[in-house]
Amino acid sequence: MARKLSYAKAINEALHQEMEHDPSVFILGEDVARMGGDFGITQGIWHKWPDRARDTALSESAIIGLSVGSAVCGLRPVAELMFADFVTVCYDQLVNNAAKIHFMYGGEASCPIVVRAVTGSGIRCAYHHSQSIEPWLMNIPGLIIVAPATPYEAKGMLISAIRNNDPVVFLEHKLLYNRKGEVPVEPYEIELFKAEIERKGDDITIVATMRMLDLAHAAAKELENEGVGVEIIDPRTLFPLDKRTIIESVAKTGRLVVVQEGPKVMGFGAEIGAMVSEEIFEYLRAPIKRVTSLDVPIAFSPELEDYVNPTMDHVLAACRSVMSF
Amino acid sequence: MALTKKRLLELYCDMVSIRKFEEAVENYSKNGTIPGFIHLSIGQEAAQAGVVGALKKTDYKFPDHRGHGAICLCGTEKKRVMAEIFGKVDGINGGRGGSMHINDLSCRNMGFNGIQGSTVVTALGTAFASTYKKTDAVTAVFMGDGTLGEGTCHESMNMAATWKLPIIYCLLNNQYAISTHYTESHPQKQLATWADGYEVPNEVVDGNDIEAVVEAVERAAERARKGEGPTLLEFMTYRWQGHFSGDPAAYRPDGELEAWQQKCPINRSRKQLMEIHGCSGAELDELDARADAEIAEAVQFALDSPWPDPKNALKHVYATVQVEDWK
Repeated sequence: MARKLSYAKAINEALHQEMEHDPSVFILGEDVARMGGDFGITQGIWHKWPDRARDTALSESAIIGLSVGSAVCGLRPVAELMFADFVTVCYDQLVNNAAKIHFMYGGEASCPIVVRAVTGSGIRCAYHHSQSIEPWLMNIPGLIIVAPATPYEAKGMLISAIRNNDPVVFLEHKLLYNRKGEVPVEPYEIELFKAEIERKGDDITIVATMRMLDLAHAAAKELENEGVGVEIIDPRTLFPLDKRTIIESVAKTGRLVVVQEGPKVMGFGAEIGAMVSEEIFEYLRAPIKRVTSLDVPIAFSPELEDYVNPTMDHVLAACRSVMSF
Repeated sequence: MALTKKRLLELYCDMVSIRKFEEAVENYSKNGTIPGFIHLSIGQEAAQAGVVGALKKTDYKFPDHRGHGAICLCGTEKKRVMAEIFGKVDGINGGRGGSMHINDLSCRNMGFNGIQGSTVVTALGTAFASTYKKTDAVTAVFMGDGTLGEGTCHESMNMAATWKLPIIYCLLNNQYAISTHYTESHPQKQLATWADGYEVPNEVVDGNDIEAVVEAVERAAERARKGEGPTLLEFMTYRWQGHFSGDPAAYRPDGELEAWQQKCPINRSRKQLMEIHGCSGAELDELDARADAEIAEAVQFALDSPWPDPKNALKHVYATVQVEDWK
């Protein structure tokens, strides 16, 4: 039987293997060295490579700024944002610097940094540690936004991200860290910019990422009993998006439901919906539906937080709605 | 140790070429040939020429938005810098950057940045790379008195001081952040002392005295190369123009500009060359005329250069993805 690892361990293994593979790779961030990270993701690296694992001050701008400058000099930094929400305090470095490097230098230098950012809600941390930051970064040409959903994807996509020559924001959903799955021992890459069709079906296309895929799969099972075939697509790289896979699927099913954690307004569901209606409106048999969190900050109390996020029932309701046309 | 006549003459030529370059840019900005807005460094030539002149070609330089002079001196052909400012295809960056974003990795001009305080943290990275790769390259980052208000300056100096990174913070105190005098936005009488809190050596330097600038940078570079960490140098100087070309600078008290013009860095070196080193006025005039000719040639090159192909706007966005053109 193939070996199983948690999503957290899969990321840790990818980091160890890339440190081993390439001496220009180093890690930096708050508590990532001695302690091995707030979520334990960088454990063991400092012990093996004390010069290549740096604990920093609480200085996200300096962390990302240093990453960018060193990347231009040929290093491959992997920085950690303890919570993705902290991207706000280094936003300039990502938006005005990392994303512009290759353009600014006309291709003579690039910015091969990876910013690992712990994203999403669900662990009762309230509004400063629970946000879904994808759309904050998806309007910035030059950046790559990756959102792995399984341990297998997490390891393979992190290795690809580190080896990629563009700046990658690598989102890790905190509720997935304990998720287990089969992960090959040896290093491997998963192609970026390529969506994965997780389930085949003829009637509805559901596009979902990370934790929302669970809801999609649960809804798909339920709908199967009703004779409705659901095709599930995980974009995996949210930006730049693999439009073709989504378009081909919706052209076949004629119905699209996007399931997205985070506020509905200007979320990636809006972009995917607009893209589909622009490109293949004539294939649509029903209006596009978005299932998202509410347009509110994430509250602390479990009752409040859970009310804000989508559930399987919301996904089912959206699917039944698009089937009614 | 005083500079040799040869070195002072070179630096004099550098300063004159900055002045002439900026005057040409001002003309072609005012007559509408240069698109967008520009920031001129007339009056600040010594601080720019002195910093670049004291560094090696292999050192990393981060000029600021008022940095045409510094970047010309890093080693890029002036005509290609001029063409960039004109937005032409032969610009050193193909017209992608313009006045505020000129870079040339071949001489380690790492580029301007339109965001105050942004390169102050990027500079940590080039300095870190020097220590990681065990090279002797130092990083010089230009900043202004206004820049110091940005939080990134704190983050950068804190980290550079803790990790002993080879950085020289070159703070050109030209008195004003657009219209706000530095004493109205900072509690320190001298901004250099700001570094005391980080236990970073700092000096206040007469930024219009090329000799003082060169010597201060050489001291800081030596410290950095020996692994002793960063230095903050505050060069006291003055910009003769407004913040951008077109700003009448009505916020300055009467007589202030004239007082600083008396301290013109170029006249000062000229005087020194004549009085101490025995240069003749005619000899220096000849050097000035050569600078004039060089800049005239650069302007002609920029005027003659074609506009970039509009499709170039889609190039180089990513190293690994070609951006779609749906137009």
